[in-house]
Amino acid sequence: MMGTVLALADLTVTWYLMPLAAIISLVYSASRYELPERILKRAARLFATIIGAMAAVFAVLWFFSVGL
Amino acid sequence: MSVPPPAERRRPWEEKNVLVAGVLAYLIPGFGHFYQGRIFKGLIYFVCILGAYFGGMRLGEGAVVYQAPIRGNWKKVSLQYVAQVGVGLPSLVALYQSKRSDSPLNKDQFDLTEPLSAPFTGQLMASSPTRDEVAGVLVGRVELSTSREGSLPETRGVFRGTKDGQPVELELSGGLKLDRPVSGGYQRGLECHVVHSPDQHPNETFHIRGSIPRSFFDAFNSPPDPVLIQDLHGRLGKYYDLAIAFTLIAGFLNVLAIWDAIEGPAYGFGDEQPPAPNPAPERTDAPVAVAAK
Repeated sequence: MMGTVLALADLTVTWYLMPLAAIISLVYSASRYELPERILKRAARLFATIIGAMAAVFAVLWFFSVGL
Repeated sequence: MSVPPPAERRRPWEEKNVLVAGVLAYLIPGFGHFYQGRIFKGLIYFVCILGAYFGGMRLGEGAVVYQAPIRGNWKKVSLQYVAQVGVGLPSLVALYQSKRSDSPLNKDQFDLTEPLSAPFTGQLMASSPTRDEVAGVLVGRVELSTSREGSLPETRGVFRGTKDGQPVELELSGGLKLDRPVSGGYQRGLECHVVHSPDQHPNETFHIRGSIPRSFFDAFNSPPDPVLIQDLHGRLGKYYDLAIAFTLIAGFLNVLAIWDAIEGPAYGFGDEQPPAPNPAPERTDAPVAVAAK
């Protein structure tokens, strides 16, 4: 029970990583390419990659921490 | 005679002064690109980098960017500030604020040079020889002034507002302690004694303890007191670390923006076709047909 509460409390912090990932994706992509549509496409893909990777790490950590 | 490239193939980062573009890109993220006419990219850098920086500042209650060098002494500068300084002007203000904060005139005040009237939030504290305890939560306004007519300056005033939601008016006298004016955080600590009332126990005294707003000019990027940093860590926890992370990342990202303003995009326009594979070289060891005689 307490573990679930703590995990939910952590989730509220995790939401802040969304705008951070979006900012990093946009700025990084803008520094790589010049054409606006290419920047936006590449930023969207990078954002999805970052969020996907974080979600995978979160899932692994959550799996191993169940019952602790 | 060279043919000018089509509009979508112009290289604007080569058309303007690179030094000016680089300096502008450093001072205010995105401005180097505006100078080069690259409005879309300038807007991305301006909104994203300054958004991360000021978002972090807001999340950390304004006490996030500090530990700038004081009087040229770089020994006490944190790596944190070295990263934050990448944002340019918004973080360079910390250099000036460190100097102001280090001034001998910037110290806790025990009397006032001019009357004070400010919103106040805090607590009414009850003190006895054996303990201190909170007697109520105060929200309202304090008005204080220091009289210098006697041998010693005497600060008197009044608090008007609510105590635990009920209207209250407290007469204040003596015991003033007002935090130094230039410091990190947008709240400035204030303490003052409450005048002893006739129906009060002789061994019990009251004082108010709380804060009044600190001006933006005094608070922005000023080094906070260690007590405030400890308080922020206690109250905000990992949100305070996150606030610092936002400002650090903003500084790092602006390095990419400066590089782009000077050198152009790292991979080009983004729609270049990959080079066609080279045709296979002709074999030189192929048997040569010999014409029959």
